[in-house]
Amino acid sequence: MHSLRHIVRRAIRSLWEHLYLNVMATLVIGAALLLIGVYLTVQYNLNAIVDSWDRDVHLSAYFHEDVGLERRFALRDQFAQRREVATVRYVSEADARAWLMERVPDIEPVLVELGDNALPASLELTLVSTEASPEAIAAFAAELQGPDFETIDYGQEWVERFNTFLSLLQLLGAVLGSLIGVAALFLVANTVHLIVYNRRAELEVQKLVGATATYITAPFLIEGATHGLLGSVVAALGLWAVHRGLVVRLQEALQLGLAGELSFLPASYLLMLFVFGLTLGVVASAMSVRRFLVQAP
Amino acid sequence: MIRMYHVHKRYGEISALRDINLRVAKGEFCYITGPSGAGKSTLLKLLYGAEQPSEGKMLVGGVDVSRLPPRRLPAMRRNMGIVFQDFKLIPSRNVGENVGLALEVIGTPREVIDRRVAAVLAIVGLRGRGGEYPRTLSGGEQQRVAVARAIVNDPSIVLADEPTGNLDGAMAIEVMEILQSINLRGTTVLVATHDAGLMERFPFRRLRFEHGKLVQS
Repeated sequence: MHSLRHIVRRAIRSLWEHLYLNVMATLVIGAALLLIGVYLTVQYNLNAIVDSWDRDVHLSAYFHEDVGLERRFALRDQFAQRREVATVRYVSEADARAWLMERVPDIEPVLVELGDNALPASLELTLVSTEASPEAIAAFAAELQGPDFETIDYGQEWVERFNTFLSLLQLLGAVLGSLIGVAALFLVANTVHLIVYNRRAELEVQKLVGATATYITAPFLIEGATHGLLGSVVAALGLWAVHRGLVVRLQEALQLGLAGELSFLPASYLLMLFVFGLTLGVVASAMSVRRFLVQAP
Repeated sequence: MIRMYHVHKRYGEISALRDINLRVAKGEFCYITGPSGAGKSTLLKLLYGAEQPSEGKMLVGGVDVSRLPPRRLPAMRRNMGIVFQDFKLIPSRNVGENVGLALEVIGTPREVIDRRVAAVLAIVGLRGRGGEYPRTLSGGEQQRVAVARAIVNDPSIVLADEPTGNLDGAMAIEVMEILQSINLRGTTVLVATHDAGLMERFPFRRLRFEHGKLVQS
């Protein structure tokens, strides 16, 4: 119990006495976790987008210009009766134009140049999720092909390609994450090694007066845990700043309604980041002290 | 207290100690003497477990230290006080904290540490100086702090490696008087030195080494 008190006291004292090096170690962990956090944020949002696409399979069927208004409404009502269709909405040329101008105001001169019918009218169909297998969607789209529609647009093929891209991104992220983790481990271990080096006289004396390896190592593990936890806080704050400053602005700039809301990392991911930071700090400290303990008399 | 049987210590091709057979009784005061490179410091390193012998067997306080696993080293050192020529004080800690370190590592309560530290500082003539820092002390005072740290946990043996090597005559005598008083309380004391004058003034058994061999015991 008394040893524990001495150990905690020594850890606090060392954190204060080697403030500069401790701040460095914390920032190195913070920077590494921030990089990993940015990657996790990107991946989390991409996954969320793909999930939303998978849930709401959407088809746009663009009318030929010469299809009359009555026929268009008849087709809309006909599709509304189908069991595989969840919703159907008629979008007129004017609606399409208004939608686009609202999101991309600069496009107005182009649309004026192209005339009133620059954008075709369409039926926007959402399929019920139980009917949203790639084969069922392809069959439904094939059924729509005919004299009434000019183009049938559904993003399933794109979704599949995007899923492949996402898998590659995950693999790349795992490799990059591991590399960043290992690099951070060595950087932090070397920074902590500087702290150990600064305190080598004290540690050597401790060893000579009979301190156990646990007694010598424990304060460094507490310091390492502190670096890890504070580094995680730095990373979380950095991520929040990046999210507010960069991502939100990016979202405003690209308001095409495709991505939905770009989210901040959920609590479970943040917890994972904290656990990783804690582990990184403790392992780096343990490595540095172990090196000293092997060398000291 | 100390027994050595055919102890050798080699560093590659170089023999630092050769076939040492030795016996030091409990409560004895001995000098380890000889010219530079004779093996004095190596012998002390073997005794406090910083090195292990290449050959032979050695017992310190009944414990075979010749093949002591690292995890048992702290327990052995807690029964031992070590004094170095360069004092090995921690500059960022005050005198009291330096002395109390030997008690702190074994989890002694703070109030007991404070009591013991005050007592040993009185023994080495530094009563009331616990709050000062090593840089404000003279060489002799720093060595007395080192001696206080060595005896604060009441060890059965004190090893001193050239404890007066960095001190002038008067200060060296002060430190030797303290070591002598510790010995009078029953502690075994081994002092490595080549200071003939000091050995004349404080006459005790001499273990003389030359070229790694014990030539006089």
